[in-house]
Amino acid sequence: MLVVKNLRKEYKNVVAVDNISFKVDGGRIFGILGPNGAGKTTTIRTVLNIIKPDSGQITFNGKPITNEFFNIIGYLPEERGLYRKSKVIDVILYFAGLKKIPRKKAYSEAKCWLQKFEIEQYIDKRIEELSKGNQQKIQFIISVIHNPKLLILDEPFAGFDPINQILIKEMILSFVTSGKIIILSTHQMETAEKLCPDILLMNKGKEVYNGTLNNLKRNFGVNTVKIEFDGDAEFIGSLPAVKNIDRYSNYAEVQLDEDVDPSEFLKILVDKISIKHFSVLEPTLNKIFIDVIKQTQTQ
Amino acid sequence: MKKIFEVARWEYVEKIKTKTFIISLILTPAILILFSIAPTMLTDQEVTHTKTIGIVDTSGLYIKGMKDKLSQYTIEDGQPNYIVINLTSKNRSLEDLKKSADKDVINEKIEGYMLIENAGTDSVSLSFRSKSLGNHKDVSRFETAFNEIRIKIRFDKENIKPYLLDYISQSVELSQIKIEESGRETTHDFLLTFFSSFIFIMLLMMMILYSGGMLIRSLVEEKSNRLIEILISSCTTNELLSGKILGLSALGLTQIFIWIMIGISLTGTAVVPLEAFNNILPILVYFILGFVFYTSLFVGIGSVVTSEQEAQQITTYLSFLLVLPIIFVLPALENPDAFYIKILSYIPFTLPSFMMLRLNISPVPLWEILSTILIMIISIYLMIGFSAKIFRIGILSYGKRPTLKELSQWLKEK
Repeated sequence: MLVVKNLRKEYKNVVAVDNISFKVDGGRIFGILGPNGAGKTTTIRTVLNIIKPDSGQITFNGKPITNEFFNIIGYLPEERGLYRKSKVIDVILYFAGLKKIPRKKAYSEAKCWLQKFEIEQYIDKRIEELSKGNQQKIQFIISVIHNPKLLILDEPFAGFDPINQILIKEMILSFVTSGKIIILSTHQMETAEKLCPDILLMNKGKEVYNGTLNNLKRNFGVNTVKIEFDGDAEFIGSLPAVKNIDRYSNYAEVQLDEDVDPSEFLKILVDKISIKHFSVLEPTLNKIFIDVIKQTQTQ
Repeated sequence: MKKIFEVARWEYVEKIKTKTFIISLILTPAILILFSIAPTMLTDQEVTHTKTIGIVDTSGLYIKGMKDKLSQYTIEDGQPNYIVINLTSKNRSLEDLKKSADKDVINEKIEGYMLIENAGTDSVSLSFRSKSLGNHKDVSRFETAFNEIRIKIRFDKENIKPYLLDYISQSVELSQIKIEESGRETTHDFLLTFFSSFIFIMLLMMMILYSGGMLIRSLVEEKSNRLIEILISSCTTNELLSGKILGLSALGLTQIFIWIMIGISLTGTAVVPLEAFNNILPILVYFILGFVFYTSLFVGIGSVVTSEQEAQQITTYLSFLLVLPIIFVLPALENPDAFYIKILSYIPFTLPSFMMLRLNISPVPLWEILSTILIMIISIYLMIGFSAKIFRIGILSYGKRPTLKELSQWLKEK
């Protein structure tokens, strides 16, 4: 279990991370979410021992972090890049060596991973000869080749095509079943929603929400319906029951006042336009995210 | 410790494979060889045409003698080197003769002419008048010939036996012998000492510049693609820094080793004087220490750099520091005991080159060698500490270059 307590990091005149605390259990993916500049990367960097926090403690399985900790972390940074002029296998072996994996073992592991990603034919190629997607796969391999106990992934899906995104997602899920502690930082809410049962929502260095995804949805749950229709729906926005509307030409997401029953609302509509589809929506993480961030910004 | 070696191996193996390394390996000695042979080759070039030289001597005392003496010199195919023509005619004044002779020079009828004034008196003077200042070799021949004739004329007058003339014209040259502690003595040759010191200082300079540049470029790459974050989430910054210094030093040693091999195979030839190897052991020690010292400095400075252009700029600034000893080679040779030479051979930045220089010029007491080596080792230790502090923060600061004030803050941070 990774425990972070009262983490604080201040740069010249900005507080990048302000009193952040969280716990991550093995076998669950912990999502750190937030808009750009929220302090996600700084939080990750302090956990990784890359930068020293001004205050706060980080413990792993009850023990403070030491240099030995380096060997059990895997880190995929947001900005990707490798030694362009070097050979794929050399680069992988170098980073595996830095994690104290014996060369022979690292070599067989590397082959195995390259096969999983179906890029074993590039083993002796220079990094610069590979496509961007394949370079990212190499980078992913580097972050997991030493079978880390703690895996930190910063925007792991960025830059992958949908097929490879599925591949990566499956691999991450397989790490979950093997009990790894996984921290995923992203602003792709859809993936976070699918993968992370626990989340930390950050904005401007501060914690906005910390807990399970289910709780968040319950807390921020709003009375929203989705309508597909034919006809002029401009009138909906001016109905008294409507709090907020997100309207397109034949599709709308309508947020109703809390005490309005959606089926009553439907009755009003059917008289005026032809309804093709009507459903009550669970709020998406994306929506919650936008609302919450907006709220904290106006505060 | 294992991680230091892992980093060192990476730096060593990846850099040794690069084209630039191989090119510099060959190019550096090639440039040095060119520098050391080219001047001698150019000055030794044979004269290929006969020169017509005039002579104006209203007294007529010197004309025949000069003609005889200068006709001894020949060029390649046995043709005379000089044809001496008499431009003097009795019924014309000196001024007049000068005017017409000058005209001949300008019209390129003659290469130039010798003007002898006040011959027969003690205030006799000799000048050579030509379009361009004369070739050093020609002028000294004219001078010798003239003086020999001058003395001969006087001797004849005083009835002194002519063979004494030969005796007088022979002078004894002073040869300098450098006595070394081992009891070995070597002939001191200014040029040889100059070149053997020069070669090592140049090699050190080029090596530092080259590998320093390479180091900074690779740091810039690691910073710009954030590889540095993976690296320092795998090992400590000190391990990374030490590994880099170790790897590059090993690379430097490889280079030195290969160069020494080239040097040995060329020893005794004109290119590499035997003298260059006289103090090879202490020189190598200074060379390596100097290299490691500067590499440590470059690691620290390189971590601050954020772009390729900045890397170029910084390498240029540092190269000025390295060129300094080259400027001092000549004055140091003229006066090896000068106070400032001693001072400069105790400042870590210039110590290696100046000690290499001093070792070649005059024997350096053992205590000085040992104390300077100690200074160097301590300086390397301090420099690594200094670089580590800058490195730790520098590698993670992207965007703009830190100001000096910020840098000093980094140094104060624990």
